[in-house]
Amino acid sequence: MTIIREQEYLRVYQKITRMISMVLDHQQVMDTIVNSLPGLLNVDAATIRLLDAETGKFVMGAANGLSEEYLSRYSIDTEETMEMILSGYPVSKTDVKLESSPEDREIIQSEGVNSILTLPILFQDSIIGILRLLTKDKRIFTADEISFSMALAEQVGIAISNGRMFLEMENQVDFMKEVQQLSTLVNSSLDLSEVLDTIVERLPDSLGCKGCTIRLLQANSNQLELVASHGLSERYLQRGRVENEMNVAAALSGSPVAIYDVGHDDRIMYKTAMEEEGIQSVLSVPIKAGSDVIGVIRILSDVPRCFSSSEINFAVTAAEVGGGAIRNARTYQQISLLFNQIEENERFLANILDCIRPQLLVVDTKKHLVLVNKVLQGEMGCTENELLGRGYHDLFQDQECDEKDCPINKVFATGQPASFTHTNERDDGVHWCERTASPMLGTDGEIEFVIEVIRDITAKKQLEEARLEQMKLQGVVELAGTVAHEINSPLFAALGTAQLLEEDLDEEDIIADVGTIVRNLKEIGKLTGKMTQMTGYESREYVGDTTIVEIR
Amino acid sequence: MAEILALDDVQDATILIGKILKKKGHTVHSFTEEDDAIAHAKANKVDLAILDIKLKKMSGIEVLSLLKEVQPAMKAIMLTGYPTVETAREAISLGADEYCVKPIDRDELEEKVEKVLKSRGNKNAMSV
Repeated sequence: MTIIREQEYLRVYQKITRMISMVLDHQQVMDTIVNSLPGLLNVDAATIRLLDAETGKFVMGAANGLSEEYLSRYSIDTEETMEMILSGYPVSKTDVKLESSPEDREIIQSEGVNSILTLPILFQDSIIGILRLLTKDKRIFTADEISFSMALAEQVGIAISNGRMFLEMENQVDFMKEVQQLSTLVNSSLDLSEVLDTIVERLPDSLGCKGCTIRLLQANSNQLELVASHGLSERYLQRGRVENEMNVAAALSGSPVAIYDVGHDDRIMYKTAMEEEGIQSVLSVPIKAGSDVIGVIRILSDVPRCFSSSEINFAVTAAEVGGGAIRNARTYQQISLLFNQIEENERFLANILDCIRPQLLVVDTKKHLVLVNKVLQGEMGCTENELLGRGYHDLFQDQECDEKDCPINKVFATGQPASFTHTNERDDGVHWCERTASPMLGTDGEIEFVIEVIRDITAKKQLEEARLEQMKLQGVVELAGTVAHEINSPLFAALGTAQLLEEDLDEEDIIADVGTIVRNLKEIGKLTGKMTQMTGYESREYVGDTTIVEIR
Repeated sequence: MAEILALDDVQDATILIGKILKKKGHTVHSFTEEDDAIAHAKANKVDLAILDIKLKKMSGIEVLSLLKEVQPAMKAIMLTGYPTVETAREAISLGADEYCVKPIDRDELEEKVEKVLKSRGNKNAMSV
């Protein structure tokens, strides 16, 4: 190598080093290099591709001097070349047309590329990308040029890595702040919808992406249900079930998945729907609550995006924060539901107690009222608040029920249900009350409360008395009928015989006597007739304490 | 004149019926036992049966039913010391012509017997 050439290389090396040391953004580093190298190294075009560690493929980082069509071809170079590069060796091709694969030959020819020098970009002995220098003229890259380009590529590797590291650090700080804010936001609400909406709106914004979806696993079906989305069309969201999509399945098993090119990645099922929606890259992360995966967050980018590890970590952390908040909100939702059900049941039971006709009360072990139904409140002329807490015996002290007969006392003494019937004098007459008390046992088997039901059984008592009266009357009527029947046959014989005798007699005195007998027998006949038609009777005073009945 | 069967558990009552109706020229066969009365009806012609409802073993209604089987054209007067709607309804349904309440007056008995005997062949006369 001549001194002039060495000086030239040194000048280019210094210039490149100075340029790339002035910028920290690794994209700017790559752009600077591909824009500067053609002029400095006398080539027509330059490209930098970065290695996607997840897929093991090289993705475009920066390019200069080449058409979009050429750049978007599927393969970069022949398998042999790529193997050499991955092994850390440069590959120089003077006539690419002859040394390229048949399918790329046409595009290479139309682009007019003849010679390519492909160099691995190394950082700390690892390949992080490739640098390609392309010429339209046939050019044989000399050993010095290749060696110099290798040194340049190494500088590029350092610069890209530094830029990446700086960016990563910057991102990590930003992401930490973002996670902190997200955590504050989602933990400030127990409304599940609000929590979900906050996550789907904040996450794509923080990562500079198009949209985001949250799908949660349904406990009963174990299927994912779309519960929130942002920045995506309804048509895209309705494209179909996603459980079987490989990236979703991987996220459900707990691993995040970043996809650079959704159009050519087997882990994507709905490629057409994504293309129509303008989605280029996807990041799927599991939503964890504790150690359980409860769903999947998908962050979608409308530009090709190689998600960095800090971005993936951020998404995973944000999803975990979200998962905790979702679990809390769900728990709160369930508690609220349960609480509402309990309230509803309480209202229902209170309505039942208020609608039943008997008076009902519950006393605690100190015999203080702890529950009274509306009927009892009405009967006492007091409100619920006035009655609760009052002593049971104070409340009923004016009633004709001795403490020794009190069913509540009996229940506390024996532990068994007890009842007692007594009368009460009221303005409208005597009322019969039936009190039935039953124990309510606690978990320890001891009496915790006693329930007492007070029923006004006046109508029942009156009915019983009427029935007794009716039975008594029925007995009297039947007896009267039987007696009349037993009398009527001999009476018939006696009356008829007397009448025949009266006819056969001649003496006036005796005829008159027999006439008296006939008349009186007929009177007895009238009486037995009344007895057979009897429907009731009235007691009538006779002599002293004796009463007789008058037949009605 | 008619062949009359009188059945009552009180013997004096059957004797009385016999005395009253014999004076009117009828032949009266008096019984206090149901079986004897039924046996008589099976062997002899009976124009009219006067039956008490309360008997010793059966009711007058049951006896009426059996007598009607052997003497369908026979007339019947039911006597009772304890009239009820049920017994009256049953007696009528079995073909009784009169339903009289004891103690029946001699004149009333004679009148009812004549009325029932005259209505032989005219089945629409029934009074209680």
